[in-house]
Amino acid sequence: MKNKKRRSRTLIYIVLTVLAIIWILPIIWIVLTSFRAEGGMFVDYFIPHHFTLDNYKTLFTNSTYPFGRWFMNTLVVAVVSAVLSTFITVVMAYSLSRLKFHWRGRFLQIALILNMFPGFMSMIAIYYILKAIGLTQSLLALILVYVAGAALGFYVQKGFFDTIPISLDESAMLDGATKWDIFRTITLPLSKPIIVYTTLMAFTGPWMDFIFARVIMGDNIQNYTVAIGLYTMMTRESANSLFMAFAAGSVLIAVPITILFIVLQRFFVEGVTSGAVKG
Amino acid sequence: MAEIKLEHIKKTYPNTDIPAVADYNLEIHDKEFMVFVGPSGSGKSTVLRMIAGLEDITDGIFSIDGKIMNDVAPKDREIAMVFQNYALYPHMSVFDNIAYGLKLRKLPKKEINTRVHEAAAVLGIEQYLERKPADLSGGQRQRVAMGRAIVRDAKILLMDEPLSNLDAKLRVQMRAEIAKIHQRMGGTTIYVTHDQTEAMTLADRIVIIDNGDIQQVGTPSELYNQPKNTFVAGFIGSPSMNLLTVTYHDGIIENNSGFSVKLPEGIAKQLTNGGYDDKQIVFGIRPEDLHLDPIAVETYIGGKFNTTVEVSELLGADAMLYTKVGETEVVVRSKGSDFVDPGTQIEVAANLSKAHYFDAETTNRII
Amino acid sequence: MQKQGLTVLKALQVGDWRMKLSAVIMGSSQLLHGQVLKGIWFLAVEISFFTWFLMRGIKSLNYLLTLGTHKQGFVFDKKLGINILQQGDNSMLLLLFGIATILVVSIFLYQYWVNLKSARTLLEFDLNHSKVPNLKEDLAKLLDSKLHILLMSIPMIGVLAFTILPLIYMISIAFTNYDHNHLPPKNLFTWVGFENFGNVLSGDVAGTFFPLLGWTLVWAVMATATSFLFGVLLAMLINAKGIKGKKVYRTLFILTMAVPQFITLLIMNNLLNDSGMVNTMLMNWHLISHPIPFLTDGTLAKVTVIVVNMWIGIPATMLVTTGILQNLSQDQVEAAEIDGANKFQIFRDLTFPQILFVMAPSLIQQFIGNINNFNVIYLLTSGGPMNSNYYNAGDTDLLVTWLYKLTIDSADYNLASVIGILIFTLSAIFSLFAYKRVNKMSNLG
Repeated sequence: MKNKKRRSRTLIYIVLTVLAIIWILPIIWIVLTSFRAEGGMFVDYFIPHHFTLDNYKTLFTNSTYPFGRWFMNTLVVAVVSAVLSTFITVVMAYSLSRLKFHWRGRFLQIALILNMFPGFMSMIAIYYILKAIGLTQSLLALILVYVAGAALGFYVQKGFFDTIPISLDESAMLDGATKWDIFRTITLPLSKPIIVYTTLMAFTGPWMDFIFARVIMGDNIQNYTVAIGLYTMMTRESANSLFMAFAAGSVLIAVPITILFIVLQRFFVEGVTSGAVKG
Repeated sequence: MAEIKLEHIKKTYPNTDIPAVADYNLEIHDKEFMVFVGPSGSGKSTVLRMIAGLEDITDGIFSIDGKIMNDVAPKDREIAMVFQNYALYPHMSVFDNIAYGLKLRKLPKKEINTRVHEAAAVLGIEQYLERKPADLSGGQRQRVAMGRAIVRDAKILLMDEPLSNLDAKLRVQMRAEIAKIHQRMGGTTIYVTHDQTEAMTLADRIVIIDNGDIQQVGTPSELYNQPKNTFVAGFIGSPSMNLLTVTYHDGIIENNSGFSVKLPEGIAKQLTNGGYDDKQIVFGIRPEDLHLDPIAVETYIGGKFNTTVEVSELLGADAMLYTKVGETEVVVRSKGSDFVDPGTQIEVAANLSKAHYFDAETTNRII
Repeated sequence: MQKQGLTVLKALQVGDWRMKLSAVIMGSSQLLHGQVLKGIWFLAVEISFFTWFLMRGIKSLNYLLTLGTHKQGFVFDKKLGINILQQGDNSMLLLLFGIATILVVSIFLYQYWVNLKSARTLLEFDLNHSKVPNLKEDLAKLLDSKLHILLMSIPMIGVLAFTILPLIYMISIAFTNYDHNHLPPKNLFTWVGFENFGNVLSGDVAGTFFPLLGWTLVWAVMATATSFLFGVLLAMLINAKGIKGKKVYRTLFILTMAVPQFITLLIMNNLLNDSGMVNTMLMNWHLISHPIPFLTDGTLAKVTVIVVNMWIGIPATMLVTTGILQNLSQDQVEAAEIDGANKFQIFRDLTFPQILFVMAPSLIQQFIGNINNFNVIYLLTSGGPMNSNYYNAGDTDLLVTWLYKLTIDSADYNLASVIGILIFTLSAIFSLFAYKRVNKMSNLG
């Protein structure tokens, strides 16, 4: 009996280790590639023959592809969007979860329907609206679009608010609190994990989005975010020679985001599971 | 002063036809301890929440000291409430929980401190003031909830089944504490429960509710001794009153299970005059008014009948005998020493002066 | 005393002259009751709206109907004696402004309604001899009973401008002939009714639409199912009794979720290329003699996409399932063991059904999300390999990616809009169907 258990356990360890390797492999590969000195896009060996930091240097010295500038652009957009988006999402979620007004049900239905349209169907229209205001190809436009999108992305946040017992609100009401007092002193303090999750999502979004950013930025390379910047690097004729630089850029983006995720792992997990389990 | 008046209060939830509360009329006097009791879903919590302002009143007038309060916000009604699940703020310490309402009203820090410590002392939770609710036991949390309510010194105190989440022993303990607190602080209190023992022990007056309708209002002894209908009769008192559906004819009540009892003349006359000859009535007699001992059997000759014991419960000083006359179940309470084996036939005498008679159709009291 | 609930219509009928005046001159009732700020606001709204409407609004609506009549072209200018390029009507802008006009009119009507409601409330105050709230009291309400107005107004403006307006615009385009042959400002486009829908559903483009629709559904089912099934298995492996290092394994897999998707997918694209690492390794080890066309063969590409998607989707499912597994009561498992069930039976009859039950709503959302899963397909294969039978689409294109190509590459905006509407219809049908099912399930549970 014991041997059987040990055998099955060993088997599981083997399977898990193999799977872990398969999953981590692509990531290790891109890190190695970022340090590779020779070759182009395709080589037939795994570990580089020569290691170098040149690829990283290229990123910051190449004037056609100003990675450093892209990085700053994305950072600014991410921070501002994160702050504004969190505020808007939290506020919308609270109103729809806790406040009574007679068009609440209808609004939730409409929001559901609006969310069923493919995201960038309205992209072209937004582009022209921005053109009419004169904001195209600017980072401000990007921020506006991301933040406006946050208004209808309240579901996870709302789901969490829904789980806070109403009797807490009622007790506070009898104690003399206005709805704003309740929001400030009771609901928000209890929602720290989910708020962190919302901010995390809002912050990482701009680093990874290349659909919206591409349409809005057009060919204004100076204003690119890292996402479209790297994508452009990869898909032009320069792709082969700049491949390792592209790898270096990928690592530079992936590392901070990954660290962020690991440090805030608890909140990320809570957000993903609460949203999923409550549906 | 806090006199509460409920006139023709009605509550219908949206998208439903049948009102949860149809026509509720009640006056609660200043400093009275009023208990709403009834089975689950009877509407008692609904009325309480309407008084608190947590539910809208569909129709009718609700006033405190003559002022109409239908549309006043909860926070302006000067009402404190203890919730069934305590509703403690999990992220605040016990001290902050109790102090919350006082802080909102911007009372000076010193005064808040004094009042919180006072309330905590009354409830014996002073040593927990720095802890968070998650670190407390159920009974302790309950006390914190009560502390939060009494610290406000509000005009009216509402309690929504505060003891139902506690185990039996704690419940008995807390019952006494609540009675003591009411004696000490003395405000108007409305207490909701489904447990008739709590109602009987705590109340100045009781309101029994079923299906949104008030069945009877009165002191505990009024409800116990003169129940207005079979619902009240069966609800109040533990174990419940025996309610037997019988046919009355010529001074005798009997059913087709073999139960037959001769009624005293005075009662027989009243029933005949009431037109109940050959009609069905409900005969009510409490287990403690059914006697086994020979002296009682001799005294209450008229109410004698034979019955067979099915289950015998020894409770210590008392015993409960679950017996059957044919198919009719009768519960008899006797001394512990009268423990009888199942299957035995016994002779039981009913103290008919303590019996109740109800109309079988309307369920209302006849005599 | 019952609440004196006057409807606005009733208030107009029974109200005094101030109420009736409010119907014509907005803000009058408020001003006459001393609510100066409110009154001025409504009055200002009315005046500015009508001014704008008479000067611009009507023209806009007219243009909306025609979408422009003057084509850009050369016109002989008598004064200068030469042909000058005269700007034509820009159909696209006309459509945009036309819709914006309709929205503005709607907003005005809404404000008019609010004005009437406010006047009605003032009438009620008069009838009940209650005091009219002053500005301070009204503002205080914003923090309490009207908090939702304070909190939601700014986000709503954003929603209106950046979600609703664009959406209406795009939906309208589906009913025009705005494609690469009719690009403003050089050309005009105009309304064509349901012609585009006919084209997509039964015309030339149908030959692309239906195969892509089929593949989209197959993809969505496979992607959701494989991620779910294997995610559950992985979670069970890690969660098994006696396995040490649970947290380490979980963190490793979460790590892969942290790396931005587009980087991962571009890496995969590179690795699976005909000259990529996987093929060259396999050839170096003499396992194959020709590179396997992971991404360039129609059928194989479809398989590849599903497999790569598993790499992306399984960690997330694993995470959620772990949460559910940890909350599953051990008592049931023990009772089943006593009853004689083996590990596999326990999984099949107890664990898996319960996981499925809890995750059902999320699975449905994932399915609908996968219908619109742009990133995985586009970054991995660009929707390729190109299929000459299709109009501007490849073998692995989903409806979404095709929409993108129609917009960016071939500028067939009208077709793109039609596809978008059809995708929406698809999602809506599935959502409705799924939620009805889930509700039934949850009533049984």
